[in-house]
Amino acid sequence: MLEIKDVTVKFGGVTALNAVSASFTQTVAGIIGPNGAGKTTLMNVLSGFVTPVAGAVNRDGQDILTIRPHRRAHWGLRRSFQREEIADDLTTFENVMVQLDHGRAGGGDLRGEVEQALAFVGMSDRAHVHGAELNTFQRRLTDVAKCMVGQPQIVMFDEPAGGLSLDESKHLGGLIRKMGAETGAQVLVIDHDVDLIREICIETLVLDFGERIAFGPTAEVLDDPKVKAAYLGIEEVEA
Amino acid sequence: MRGIYHITPSGWAGLAFAAFCFVVLPEISGRLWLSVFTSTGCFVVAIAGVAFVYARLGMVSLTQVGLMGIGGWVTLRLGYYWDLPFEVNVLIAGLVCMVFGCLLALPALRMRGLYLALVTLMAAGGLDIIFVTFQFPNGGEGFWGVAMTGGQQIAGPVLAAGPEGYLRLVVGVALLSFLLIEAHCRTKPGRAWAMIRRSEASAIAVGVNVALYKTWAFAIAGLLGGIAGGLLAGSIGILDAATFRATESIMLFVLAVVGGSRYWLGVVIAATLYKILPALLNNWGVSADLSFVIFGAGLLHAVITAPDGIAKQIYDGVAGSVTKKKQEATRA
Repeated sequence: MLEIKDVTVKFGGVTALNAVSASFTQTVAGIIGPNGAGKTTLMNVLSGFVTPVAGAVNRDGQDILTIRPHRRAHWGLRRSFQREEIADDLTTFENVMVQLDHGRAGGGDLRGEVEQALAFVGMSDRAHVHGAELNTFQRRLTDVAKCMVGQPQIVMFDEPAGGLSLDESKHLGGLIRKMGAETGAQVLVIDHDVDLIREICIETLVLDFGERIAFGPTAEVLDDPKVKAAYLGIEEVEA
Repeated sequence: MRGIYHITPSGWAGLAFAAFCFVVLPEISGRLWLSVFTSTGCFVVAIAGVAFVYARLGMVSLTQVGLMGIGGWVTLRLGYYWDLPFEVNVLIAGLVCMVFGCLLALPALRMRGLYLALVTLMAAGGLDIIFVTFQFPNGGEGFWGVAMTGGQQIAGPVLAAGPEGYLRLVVGVALLSFLLIEAHCRTKPGRAWAMIRRSEASAIAVGVNVALYKTWAFAIAGLLGGIAGGLLAGSIGILDAATFRATESIMLFVLAVVGGSRYWLGVVIAATLYKILPALLNNWGVSADLSFVIFGAGLLHAVITAPDGIAKQIYDGVAGSVTKKKQEATRA
């Protein structure tokens, strides 16, 4: 279980997150909301890139906000960014390996683990291709493989389907769902693609202007009038 | 993933070139050219450091010649003070410059791009003033070791005798420098640097200790700068502050970009332009200052047509002709 408790973030006079709380109990959960809702800020809080003025984030009794940002990856935090962060001059294999280089699972069959992750995402045949030669979808798959290795505890995907075709997006969604079951990690997915969220996330947190406006089973949350209003505008809902 | 001992075609070419420089070059060179090639070799080691930081981290360090100066100073000071072998003095000089490299990494933890370049240039300017003010040891008394008239030279290397041997020693050190860099690039640090260059946020997200790895890279550049300075001191015997002007650091960086900072060949091209071209111009009775015009043209060429440097263009040209020949052979 991942428990986010009263997380508040302020940038000067702007409150980006206002006492946001949520207890994620399902393996794959979504975080949605209109632009500027605070989704990525929440992810940045978990990553350690943004320090909240108040709040705590607990996973199995460990407050991850007390861990230094780069040590969170050692602990088991994984994340992908809106833009795939794949090093152009490293091969696909090396791009995944770099996650294990600094992971907590010292020793063991690291190469085997990378090969397994690449096989899982269907990138085994591109293992020795440089990042610069991969297309957007392949880079995104490499990102997923990176998030799989080294016993992840929490995996966060920030708009993973951005720039992908419908089929690619569907394939990626399937992988993310399978990944949650396979690794046992808490998977959090931020995306504007509501169909993708509906497809893969069992529960969903909705933010708007830094406030939690809904949280619960995805189907229920997406039918919530407040959520529709936040996404589509009040007039359309009323109409 | 490339094995650490895997040799690429470029690597084979580099080893062949090193073998040529080690075996043939000292035999066919006269006294003057031995000195020029030795000095070029020293600058190959120094440029390898500055090119490495730029290519691997995307960071500009303009203090490399200043670090060479420190390396030279330490080597001369130790050489006049103790009876340690020359090689040990050079190694100590490298280690001292490693510490200076780490200090230079401190601003790099917070700054990038132009701001970092300016800070490193200011450090080079500071060192420039120190060298001009206190000069280099020449066998005098006291901490600074400067006498009005220079005394005897420091002891030469144990491993190499004569100018030919010294050139071989420098070639050997240059080869070891490239191997040190390549070994790093093929293992954990190289992957960490690749992520840092991609973006610091992504590096942190995979668990890279950005401060540690940046410091590590600057320490290696410092080590190479210090060793290069020590070797230069051993080669010339007496160092002059004019050799270590801050502007020379800018020149080294520019030439590393022109040559191709990611490749050993680029570093060799840079050092060749820096040391051999002016000597050639002098030899032809042309002012060596003409080399600055050629450097400028080279930089324009790099900016317009070769962002990865002349070395990349050469590699692409060779790879293209090999592919063409293979295709012709297949058709035949």
